[in-house]
Amino acid sequence: MSGGIARGRLAEERKAWRKNHPHGFVAKPETLTDGTVNLMVWHCTIPGKAGTDWEGGYFPLTLHFSEDYPSKPPKCKFPPNFFHPNVYPSGTVCLSILNEDSGWRPAITVKQILVGIQDLLDQPNPADPAQTEGYHLFIQDAAEYKKRVRLQAKQYPPIV
Amino acid sequence: MADSTDDFEPLFDYSRVQPLNFVSLDDDDDDDDTASPALSSKRRRIAKPIVIEDLEENTNVIQIMDSGKNEELDWLSPPPKVSRNAQRTVVEDSTLKELRLKKKELESVAQSAEDVVRAVEESVKLQLGSSMQSSLEAVADQPSKPTCERVKIVISIQDKDGTKQFRIYTDDKFERLFKMYADKVKLDIQNLVFSFDGDKINPASTPDGLGMEENDIIEVRVKSS
Repeated sequence: MSGGIARGRLAEERKAWRKNHPHGFVAKPETLTDGTVNLMVWHCTIPGKAGTDWEGGYFPLTLHFSEDYPSKPPKCKFPPNFFHPNVYPSGTVCLSILNEDSGWRPAITVKQILVGIQDLLDQPNPADPAQTEGYHLFIQDAAEYKKRVRLQAKQYPPIV
Repeated sequence: MADSTDDFEPLFDYSRVQPLNFVSLDDDDDDDDTASPALSSKRRRIAKPIVIEDLEENTNVIQIMDSGKNEELDWLSPPPKVSRNAQRTVVEDSTLKELRLKKKELESVAQSAEDVVRAVEESVKLQLGSSMQSSLEAVADQPSKPTCERVKIVISIQDKDGTKQFRIYTDDKFERLFKMYADKVKLDIQNLVFSFDGDKINPASTPDGLGMEENDIIEVRVKSS
């Protein structure tokens, strides 16, 4: 019945989110074509932090929850080939709090995950690279890295 | 008035002799057990001015009761001059006062009627702005409180600096809320983008239509031109 636990928790998360969430963020369970809601997959938007090169971008992120949630963290994915040192080519985010064996705790909320990823955007962790291009530019060519980040922010304008 | 009666009282001793009967008759239910001579006479002395004052005040309101009181008082009240004078002035006054009161009453009726008319007019104006369909119903309800049956919810509009809360009807179009917000923050509504759950809100839609609940949040963003 762990599935029941996961869905119960996700329903709670969603309820809390509706009443209070940080500005510019979106997080909602996916709605299937037949109109039913799938609590196990959430479509989210993370706004680039103001005052950074990421500002102006609204980056789509998908959270995939397993039946073992919240014992295990959700898998968080940007679109494939998202430019960031700590994002795998598949788009999966590499972040300590999202690692079951490292920083994940069942008490971490969806809001904390999304804000944590927003922080990660402008503060990559060079000790834990997940893609070569982003990592190399970040290490070797700050100017070019900056340019790429700004370009990417433009590629993800606000949807609305 | 009170002074004059007090002056007369020692002259006419009836008040001291008679009251025993009178008081016990009149105020039977009040305090017949405490109707010792001393007490009752005292009571009477105090009571009389009050009664006369009462007369003047009450005549306007309840004529019948006073006249009844008057007669009783008249029979027994010893100083005839005073009481009769008082009575006469009271009667004259009372008719005048009655007229005055009626006039006032009529005025107030007219006033309230005017108020109602104005309220209805205002409501009509308001309702026309919002929707034709609900106007009829709203006008009917206006005199008390507009439309108790429609459900209101609190919606927060969140910008980058914080949230502002609004109470709106769940079947009211968003354009009204948006205008309210734009007025409040003094921004051109054309430059504001409102979204709910990441989707832009059509100003013609309603909270009901979007399945909104109490305390849901609308995000607002200022368009970067």
